[in-house]
Amino acid sequence: MSEIDSLKAQLESLQSEALSAFDSAADSAALQLLRVHYLGKKGALTEVLKGVGKLPPQERPVIGQYVNQAKAVLSAALDRCEATLSAQGKSARIEAERIDVTLSGRKLPAGALHPVQQGLDEITAIFAQMGFAIAEGPEIEDEFHNFDALNIPPEHPARAMHDTFFLKDLTHGDAAEPMLLRTHTSPVQIRTMKRFLAENGEPPLAVVAPGRVYRCDYDVTHSPMFHQVEVFKVDRDVSMAHLKGVLKHFLSTYFEKDVGIRLRPHYFPFTEPSAEVDISCVFCAGKGCRICKGSGWIEVLGSGMIHPNVMRSVGVDSSEFSGFAFGLGVERLVMLKQGIPDLRLFFENDVRFLRRMGVPL
Amino acid sequence: MKIPFSWLKAYVPLTATPAQIADDLVRLGHEVEAVELPRAAVHGVRVGLITAKQPHPDADKLSLLKIDIGETEELAIVCGAANMGEGDKVPVATIGTTLPGGLVIKQGKIRGETSFGMCCSEVELGLADESAGLLILPADAPVGAQVGEYLTLEEAVFDLSITPNRGDCMNARGIARDLAADAGLPFTDISVAEIAVDTAVTTPRVTVSAGQDAPVYMARRIDGITLADSPAWMQASLLMAGMRPINGVVDILNYVMLTQGQPMHAFDADTLHGDITVRSAVDGEDFAALDGRELKLHTGDLVVSDERSVIALAGIMGSAASGVSEGTVNIVLESAFFRPARVSETRRTYAMVSEASMRFERGVDPAVVAMAMQQATALIIDLCGGTSGEIAVCGDAGAINAGRTVSCSLSRIESRLGVAVPAALDVVLARMGFVMQRDGDLLTVHVPSFRHDVTIPEDLSEEYARVIGFDAIPTLLPPLATTAPVRPDRFIHDAVAGGFLQAVTYAFISADEQRLFVADDGLDIALANPISDAMSVMRRSVWPGLLNAARRNLNRQQPGVALAEQGRVYLRTDAGHDENNVLAWLMTGEVEQDQWYGDARAADFFDLKGAVETWLQVRGLNGRFIADDSMQGLQAGQSAKIMVGRAEAGRIGRVDTDLAEQFDIDAPVFVAELNLDLLPQGKQAKFAPLAEFPAVERDLVFLFDRGVSSEAVLNAVRSGGGKLLTDARIFDRYDGKGVPDGKVSLGIRFGLQDAKRTLTQADSDAASSAIIAAMDKRFGAALR
Ligand SMILES: [Zn+2]
Repeated sequence: MSEIDSLKAQLESLQSEALSAFDSAADSAALQLLRVHYLGKKGALTEVLKGVGKLPPQERPVIGQYVNQAKAVLSAALDRCEATLSAQGKSARIEAERIDVTLSGRKLPAGALHPVQQGLDEITAIFAQMGFAIAEGPEIEDEFHNFDALNIPPEHPARAMHDTFFLKDLTHGDAAEPMLLRTHTSPVQIRTMKRFLAENGEPPLAVVAPGRVYRCDYDVTHSPMFHQVEVFKVDRDVSMAHLKGVLKHFLSTYFEKDVGIRLRPHYFPFTEPSAEVDISCVFCAGKGCRICKGSGWIEVLGSGMIHPNVMRSVGVDSSEFSGFAFGLGVERLVMLKQGIPDLRLFFENDVRFLRRMGVPL
Repeated sequence: MKIPFSWLKAYVPLTATPAQIADDLVRLGHEVEAVELPRAAVHGVRVGLITAKQPHPDADKLSLLKIDIGETEELAIVCGAANMGEGDKVPVATIGTTLPGGLVIKQGKIRGETSFGMCCSEVELGLADESAGLLILPADAPVGAQVGEYLTLEEAVFDLSITPNRGDCMNARGIARDLAADAGLPFTDISVAEIAVDTAVTTPRVTVSAGQDAPVYMARRIDGITLADSPAWMQASLLMAGMRPINGVVDILNYVMLTQGQPMHAFDADTLHGDITVRSAVDGEDFAALDGRELKLHTGDLVVSDERSVIALAGIMGSAASGVSEGTVNIVLESAFFRPARVSETRRTYAMVSEASMRFERGVDPAVVAMAMQQATALIIDLCGGTSGEIAVCGDAGAINAGRTVSCSLSRIESRLGVAVPAALDVVLARMGFVMQRDGDLLTVHVPSFRHDVTIPEDLSEEYARVIGFDAIPTLLPPLATTAPVRPDRFIHDAVAGGFLQAVTYAFISADEQRLFVADDGLDIALANPISDAMSVMRRSVWPGLLNAARRNLNRQQPGVALAEQGRVYLRTDAGHDENNVLAWLMTGEVEQDQWYGDARAADFFDLKGAVETWLQVRGLNGRFIADDSMQGLQAGQSAKIMVGRAEAGRIGRVDTDLAEQFDIDAPVFVAELNLDLLPQGKQAKFAPLAEFPAVERDLVFLFDRGVSSEAVLNAVRSGGGKLLTDARIFDRYDGKGVPDGKVSLGIRFGLQDAKRTLTQADSDAASSAIIAAMDKRFGAALR
């Protein structure tokens, strides 16, 4: 056998030996060792090239060509095996890292707004979007703001119906007149109008005033503390039609449906005319059910055109300006909207209730 | 106020159904609480005669009754009432009867004694919401008769809620007048035959010296009556109207009041001395009222007096001594108009409410004063016999509200209502007693004397609204205002975002609870008329309310409670009083529960402190927590005041364990409170370039004395660490094995960065050395 044939045979056997070694390599690391062993600077192929020196010069390129071919074949095979092994390794890792995605996530503690707060937020937001400014006032009030300025003089029978909490040894200024806990949010109407007029001279103004109010009345359907929102607007040419428009828009937005409204003539000292406002029953769509006592209507709030005596008490000329006002009970609206059966639930602060009502339905 | 249908029909020929009438009443502004339907349900309740009454052998409060209901055998019935005796007739619900409340009567044993039925009060018959014992039927009630038929209970009753402006409608006559006008039906007053005057009967003379307060006062003496029970029809209708029959005279006066609207009073003439004067009381004058109260009167109180003493607080209540009783034979009747504000003030002064005062306060119809006197006289003579004297009158009913006129422009009414008011409406108002006159845009209205509430143009707009109906008014959105809406605060919302449930607790707590966290410094505000001791003082801290809520929840097996409340606290100040807006937190029990990824963890101080810090951070504020052992109700060593800016804005700490125990809470409880009114406005951040060169971090661990404040350590690191120092924090704290007693090991991690270049080893070595020196100098702390 010539020298060149012997080298060729040597190369061929080296190549097939390497290929089978590559195939049986267990992992990437073993493959890397084999790459060094066969293709490295001091590897087996380089060893073969060392024998080229013994060949006559004209035959050397031929062998060089063979060596390069073998190098290319082995490199390609190595890359192929590398890819295969790496794919196998990854899928093994993936399998090993498999988790139970149905286990509970790591939860942050979830808080919740009280349903009354949610109601207050919703109600004030609706009026704020209609251009009503938000105002607040004190809970400890004097008789002037809670009663007299609202056209409820001391001898007025309506004053007795308010079940007022009076404060012990706390009087208004130098007078002997006792301070009280406000029985409604209407005094904010007086305070806000006075402030507004002092700053701006004359109407228009439109205000929504949320807050806590107090009545000395405690049973299954009465809480001594509850929340009201007072809404009023004073401008030129404000009419009952506007009152109806605002009520309809507000109640339909709040209850997220086109609710029917009905106004019934009523009496409040601070409005004239006055009206109780009913909505078509949200439980039976007006057909009549237990909640609406079969009438198809549910009373939701009291309203009316601001009485000229109230306008006078804050210095508004009632021959030039008119206004509407209404006050609504937040707990009542929230109970109707969210189907809460018992007023007392609001003040028990049972966390199961708070969590339940905190989740948007 | 309850009005049987037949009372209305006595004035107006109504043909509509009770349901239709109810709708009309609502439209006219009279709230209908209920229309009680015919009481067929009481079928089975029969008139029973008590033939024997013995005490129950085993129960003091029960009686064993034998009752004759007209059957062959008497019924044995066990009864818990006390107001009946042998010979009384009472309603007996026999076995099988279903009462209006749904109760079905069965044979049963009560404390060992068998009862074959039940004796009824007004409550069981659905006639009243409360009663003081069994309903005692008239003596002539036929034994065995169906009570429903005997009392003619089979008719509709309107339960109305009359608004305080409509004194004229607190009776059947006024309501009937409104209905007649609305429906265009004729209204007819009840006619009373002329009463023969017996000249032998001398009515006392009447003088009114307080003419403003009693514009008309009438009296009439009736002699020789025999007090009898009122007739069954009257008793029945009074019962349906919710009033208990008492005796003939009282029932007749109540009947006249409920139907005609005029409160009247009857004095026993033989208890009176001389003539009658209506006058202002003398300061300190004594008055022993019919309800048993002894009053010292004040100047200004309007009284009716004879020549010796006060016989009535005008319009409110008669005296005990002058009342009609069993043996009364001669009486003096009173019918008057008392000024509403006068009656109201006296009623408030003595907290003395009566059916009469409610009507006088709201204003009665002046035209009825005389009419009622005639009707009552006729009814009394008819029932009890006797003869009557002349009516003594002082004042003129016709002068009350006479000639009251309201005029205004029609367009003003139309602009207030937002709808036109055509002249056709005037016809309806005319039927209601108004005299309507239009002259172009000018409207002039003569107001009837019984409408005390119509005095200004706006009142006319209400009358028009009533007759036109609110449904006829269009629904219009007004032009929207251009006021910029105020951005709502997010105080409670951010607290809730931190994992807390929002609580709403009462603003009043008990005096004991107030003392838990606030010393008695005289600044509490108490309620003058609290509902209970538990709700008697305006809170100065929200914590007691939250502790009560926590107790309730822990009792309901909640493993942990995290609550937050935004509300007000109240206290006296030099200027009077103040209300502060506060935000309060409470945390107790497990903050984390056992999970597959970790174990349960109980809340500690730092859970709550973290929540407060984050809450402040969200609004651009920083809190400094300064240890304070002197805070009432909080455990020393685990409590701090919270400084925000220059203000001491709040407190945080662990609730004293004895105190927590008072709320039945064993686990540590942590509470915090911030005064929202003291918080400064958070600063909005200004932009600063973001660093481009890499930062390095280094750790140093020192041994400190155990009481060291980590805040002080970090402040010293920050001030001594050089200008490259960007941040420092405690990354490790250890005082276990290997650390000498009285010492604590703190690991400090600090960051270094330069905006202009990459840092070198020399930079971090220099910073480390500076910090080591600072810790040694400031705390005597050595590297560990
Ligand atoms: Zn319904």
